[in-house]
Parts: sequence; structure tokens; C-alpha cells
Amino acid sequence: MTNPQEEAVEHAEDPTYGEIVWGQFRKRKIGMTSLYALLALIALAVFVPILASNKPFIWIVAGETSSPWLASLFDRNFYENAVDIFFNVLMVTSPIVVPGIIWRFKSTAGLPGDEKKSKRLIGIFLALGLILSLFGGVMAFPSQSEKTVYPRMEQKLLDQGEAVTAVYPLLPYSFRDTNVRESRLGSSFAHPLGTDSAGRDVMTRLVFGTRISLTIGVFAVAIYITIGIVVGAVAGFYGGRVDSAIQRVIEVVICIPSLFLILTMAAFIEDRSIFHIMFIIAIVRWTGPARLVRAEFLRLRRLDFVAAAEAAGYGTRHIIFREILPNAIGPVLVSATFGVASAILVESTMSFLGLGDITVPSWGQILNSGRTTGVWTLILAPGFAIFLTVSLLNLVGEGVRDALDPKLRK
Amino acid sequence: MIQYTIKRLLLTIPTFFAISLIIFLVLNVAPGKPGAQSSGQGESTTGQEQKESYRIFKEQFNLDRPILLNTRFNLDTAEVREMLAISSNLSGEEGARERIEASDDLDDYGNYLVQHLLVLLDDADPEIRRLAANQLTAASQSRFVNDRRGDAEAAREQNREIGKANDLVKTWGYTADAPDADKLAIHKQWKDWYSKNEETYVYSAGEKLSIFFTDTRFFKYWDNLLHLDFGVSTVDRKPVLDTVLSKLKYSLSLTTTAVILAYIIAVPTGIFSAVKQGKPIDSVITVLLFVMYSLPTFFTGTVLLKLLSEGDPVAWFPTGNFQSMDVGAMTTWQSTKDIVWHLILPIATYTSTALAALSRYARTGVIDVIRADYIRTARAKGLSEPVVILKHAVRNGMIPVLTLLGGLLPTLVAGSVVIEVIFNIPGMGQFLFSSINLRDYNAVMAVLLASSSLALMGILLSDLSYALVDPRISFD
Repeated sequence: MTNPQEEAVEHAEDPTYGEIVWGQFRKRKIGMTSLYALLALIALAVFVPILASNKPFIWIVAGETSSPWLASLFDRNFYENAVDIFFNVLMVTSPIVVPGIIWRFKSTAGLPGDEKKSKRLIGIFLALGLILSLFGGVMAFPSQSEKTVYPRMEQKLLDQGEAVTAVYPLLPYSFRDTNVRESRLGSSFAHPLGTDSAGRDVMTRLVFGTRISLTIGVFAVAIYITIGIVVGAVAGFYGGRVDSAIQRVIEVVICIPSLFLILTMAAFIEDRSIFHIMFIIAIVRWTGPARLVRAEFLRLRRLDFVAAAEAAGYGTRHIIFREILPNAIGPVLVSATFGVASAILVESTMSFLGLGDITVPSWGQILNSGRTTGVWTLILAPGFAIFLTVSLLNLVGEGVRDALDPKLRK
Repeated sequence: MIQYTIKRLLLTIPTFFAISLIIFLVLNVAPGKPGAQSSGQGESTTGQEQKESYRIFKEQFNLDRPILLNTRFNLDTAEVREMLAISSNLSGEEGARERIEASDDLDDYGNYLVQHLLVLLDDADPEIRRLAANQLTAASQSRFVNDRRGDAEAAREQNREIGKANDLVKTWGYTADAPDADKLAIHKQWKDWYSKNEETYVYSAGEKLSIFFTDTRFFKYWDNLLHLDFGVSTVDRKPVLDTVLSKLKYSLSLTTTAVILAYIIAVPTGIFSAVKQGKPIDSVITVLLFVMYSLPTFFTGTVLLKLLSEGDPVAWFPTGNFQSMDVGAMTTWQSTKDIVWHLILPIATYTSTALAALSRYARTGVIDVIRADYIRTARAKGLSEPVVILKHAVRNGMIPVLTLLGGLLPTLVAGSVVIEVIFNIPGMGQFLFSSINLRDYNAVMAVLLASSSLALMGILLSDLSYALVDPRISFD
């Protein structure tokens, strides 16, 4: 008999499945580079107000200093969309949350498996709790909006001979406010990609579009993966009649051409928001992960460890979610990464056809305005943004797929 | 195998039923008034006439019926009284939205209201009495026979009779300031009329059961569907099935050409790339295909159109459409050339998307097979490399690629909405796109049903082809 301490040490040296996959993934240069680029893109989405906003960071008039930019971050009349507020909360909390999570991961590295896992989970839940409670707080309280258009105000004050000090972000524009006097400008130093027919700065809209695309991609996939896992797990675990009933439902859903169904549902919803779009994509796409999970469950169900867990007296829910699911999650993870890329493509197709959320700056919508007006920058810039995001996600997905494949271990 | 095929074929019937149910629910539960714009007859008509024409329009397209199940025979008089009060804002506190909803519901309930309105003619409140009489003029209207299958002349004759009866009762309303004697006379008229027609408006248990299931939108739709009647378009009043079938040729000629082209290019490319695995040429092909795979269709289409047809820099190709306007004056050869000339860009766009996915599949398929033992055996036997690759590796490596074709059929039929919209090709995709924007229910249903049933067949074929191509799979 070894004493428990030694056992724990032995345990700690055994890498978990997640660590093996991560180790394999790290060895793949293309995958890692894409992952870093993707993280940079996410950082861009989070920190975009620092880059573009028509509220000045610092505003000094008649000796009074204020920061309209800071005040605007949680102003629901300025950032109308909940998604923007959410990202702003992320931006403000990131100096605490990101180092916190990194520290949690570093400090638990030597601990035995279970303890490590639970400590990391506690850290992540704390971070999530902080972000969500702040977000909820902002959404719950009505915000007082001030309607000052600062660049115009500055001009007016300067004309009156007053001393004004204002420090703006690099792109001092709002993604929403129209300005007919500056419509359809070409590329210039002030407007790197010109303006659209409503006089909005295209560069600003493009960078804010990152938020929309990533959010729709990630959340739509999160919703349908959840549906797919539950349905697939039930079908694969119980088999028999339950399975064949679920199979029939899946057959029905995959027969309907998905883009047709998506466009039809979108068109018949009045005042579509990006949340509708996420749900529409999720309703049509859940069958993919459901079939994957079902197949994995059918295979794993017959293995000894399930019988062992049953013999040990664990409940069905424990066996499904704690025993089988962790072993079946690999293929789902891969399809999720590719799924985000394809959800972003679907969303941009919808907004290209005018069936997206018209109140948000979406890449597809910018591209469509480029098609109708025939301006090259309006076609190429959003096209490149979509291409870049989709490629990075696909490359990361391929990396994960290879890392999960035992035949390709390095 | 035969047993399996028969079983699968029989299963398609309930599957089709479920598909139609899902699509039907998606379309009908969604908000938005269908055809409200096409029934508006301009400014010259009065509100009353417009309301009447909208009522007939709804009746024609079954939009006044409940969606799945009908419980309207179960209304009670108090409920009807409440709705009358709301729709005319008797309390003075109802919002505009509630009033419109109540009055729309009253109009939709139609005949089911008659027995309750008759009771309300003796209500204590004179306003309710007046509203009941006025609502009766609409509620007592009988449905026109709307049957495009039977004897047209007989139907017309029947409709003339119904129209006469409808016109008679239509005038039996009155205004609030009418003399009391007139009001009483009209009430009397209604009661006499009702005693003559009572059996039409009181429902027995059997009738209730049949109404519950059959007097609904879905049942009427399916009833027509069984006679291959997909209804008429609310936009141009032509049978939608004819329109859909006429659109099919545009979509199919675009997509089949593109998919065949994609296969012709993709399979050799994939094989070549797999054989040269790890060499620089493989990397170049892989990167190129990856780029094509990640480029959105609408981006490729827009760029090609702008580069090569809109004169920025060149205008070699037409800017859209399936063929030129003056097609009538052309010989067959000329018009074929004309169509090809129009379709080059859309086909190129479509092919580039399909191509990338296909050759990636082909490459992985062959690479998977090349590692197998029997390939090593074939090489050891001294077979030449081309024979090893083409006869042994490709045959097995192509199974997944071939079976993909079945899965491609839905997209084939559906065409590509995006490409058809960009290049203005009058196919199924563009038809669907314009129909959903016009809220043309029958047209949208027909497009979705037609494409789904073709997809159903495609999936069936692909499952069966697995068994044919790969002898290891058996279904028995």
C-alpha cells in the first residue's frame, strides 16, 4: 500500500486529457499562430471604444475637466445594444479578470487533478460572476444620456473664442450617428476607409462589427451545441424507441434547406435583433452536434467504464454528464470551432441580403452597401474582415482536430 | 436491401408530413399580416369597402381560419360581448392595439359568432345591441366556394347564389341615431332570418369534432396539397406550383453545371494533392483551396461582378440575368451562347465555393486510403504507381466524395439565394427571396416544400448509394 500523499503526487504527474490535447495543439505552429491572431481579434472587439468613439477621453472647458468617454461606456442611450454594454464591461474589468485567471492557472499547475480543476473553476466562476453582476447592474439602472456631439461643440466653443482641450480616440466617430454633409467620402487621412452613403465612418463601423460577428458566432454555437448535446446524449444513451423518435425529428429538420429556412424565419420576424438571429441559426443547426454526440454515446455506452459506473450506483444524470460526456466532447469541440466560422458566414449572408439586424454595424450590411453604391473600399474592407475571421477560426479548428487525433500525435 | 428500400420509401410520407407541419407553423406563427398591402385598393375606396375586400381576401387564402386546431364553436356569449365592447372602445380606456386585435378577431370568427350575436341583440345596453346587429352583417356572410378542381361553371353558379344571399343581409345594420322603430324592425328581420337558418349556425357534437380538426388553415392546405394544389400567389394570383416549376430550370442549369464542374476540377486536384502530400505543390494547393473555402460567396460574387462586368476595369460579361432581352430573335445556337455568356460568372462563383470543400474531402479521402495495408501490398506486388493510385486508392478514397453528392442535392435545388440575388437570375432562390419580402405565404410554402422534398429524395438516394458503392455496408 502506498500512502495517500505519494498517490497524489503520482496523480499530479499524469497529464489530464485536456492537457494532452493542449500540449498537442501547442506543437502545431499554424494553429497556435491563428489562435494568437484570434485572441488579438477578440481583444480588438473588447477594446474598440479606445480606438473609436466620438466622445473625448478628456474634455477641459473653462477649467472644468471631465471624461465624456468614460461616462458613455455604460450609457445605454449611447451604446444602444446590450452586446456593446457587455463588451464595455469586459473592457473595464479585463485589467482585473485576465491577470486573475492567468494567475489561477499558473498557481494551480502542480496540484493534483481534482483540486486543480476545482480551483480553476472557482476562479473562472468568480470572474464570470463579477462580469455578469456588473453587466446586470448597468442594464438594470436607467442611464441619463447627454446628447452633446463633442466635435461640433468643440468647433462652436472655439468659434466663440473659448479655450478647449479635448483628447479624442484615434477615430473620433460614432458607428451610428449619420452625417449627411460627409457622405460617400473617399479614403483620406481622417477617414482611412472613407464614409458610407449616410456619412458614417466605415473604419469605425468595421471595427465595431467585430463585436457583432464574434458575439453572434459564439452565442449561436453555444446555444445549438447545448441543444445538440442534450438531445444527442438522450438519444445515444437510451437508444431504442427514444433514439428512433429523435432520429426522425433530426431527419425532418435536415431535409429543409437550412439557408432557406433561416432567411424565411428572419424575414417573418419584425424588428429583428441580433438575439433573434442567434436563435434562428441555433434552431436550424443543432442537428449536427446532436448526431455527433449520439454516435459517440452509442459507442461509449457499451464500454466497461459505463458498466462500472452503473455498478457503483451512480445516477443516470451523473453517468451521462460526468462519465460519458467528457469522453464524447472531442468531436463536438472541433465542430464548434468550425461552427462559429460558419455562423459568422451565415450572419453576414443574412445582413448582406438585408435580413439581419439593421441597427447594428454588421460586415455583411457594409458589403451590401458597397455592392449597391459600387465603392471598392466598402466591398473589400468588410470582405477581408469576414475572410480573416473565418480563416482564423477554421485554422484553429483544424489545429484542434489534428490535436485530438491520436494517429497524428507528435 | 429491397426491404430496407421499401421501409425508407414508406418513411418519407410521415417525414414529408412533419416537414410541411414545421414549415407551416414557422410561417403562420410568425407575426406580420400577409397580403395586407396587396388588398389595399388605393385611396378611392372607403374604409368599409376596404375592410370588406380584405375580409374576402383573407377568406380566399384561409387566413381567417385558426392555424392548427379550431375551438371557435366553444365561444360563449359573454366573451363575444366583451370583444364587441373592446373593439368599439365602449369603456373609453382601450389601447389602439387591443381594439384592432379585438376587431380583427371578430372578423375572423365569422359564422361562429352568429348564434351569440343573436342573443346580444336583446342585450340591456343599446350600444351592444347596435354593435351586434352591425357585426351580424359581416358574421352572417357565407363563404364563397373556392374550389379550383371541380366544375368551374357549377361553382360560379353556386357563388352567384351565395353572393345574392350575402348582399341581402349586408345592409341590415344601422347607425346609433336611427329611429327606434327602425332598430326594432331590423332586429326582427335578423331573428326571422336566424329561425330560417338556425341549423347552419348551431353545431352538433359530431360537427364540433370535425370542425375542431378540419376547419383550419393546415387541414385546408393539406387537403389542397393532396390534389397537388399549392395554392395561388397572393401577389400575382397565379398558381405557385407553375411558377416554382418554371423557376426550377434556371436554378438547376446554374447549379448542376457548377457542381459537375466542381467535381471535374476538385477530384483530380484532391488526388494530385494527396499524392504529392508534404511537397511544396501540395502546400500551395492546400493554401489556395483554403482561401477559396473561407471566402464568402457573396463577396466573391460581388467582386467578380464588379471587376468583370461593371467596367471596373473591364465589362466582358453582362451584369446579370439569365439571358438577353431579345432572345426571341436568336437561333438556338445563338441563344445557347447567350445563356453561357450570362452564366459564366455565377457558375464561377458557385464552383469556387463547392470546389474548395470537395477537393479537401477528396484529398483527405485518398490520404486516408494511401496509408492502408492493401496499398502497400499493391506496391509490393510491383504494380506501377498510376495503377496503385487510380485503381486501388482512388476507388476507395472517393466513396465519401460520391456520397456527398446526395447531401448536395438540397443545395442544388435550392440554388444559391445569394448568387441568384447578386446576378439577378430568376431562379428559386430569388423567387423565395422576393416572396418572403412580400409575405407571399403560398409561394414561400411551395418553394420550401418543393426543395425539402427533393432533399428528402437526395438523402434517401445517398443512403442507398452507400450500400451500392461500399459492399461492407449492409442494412439487413
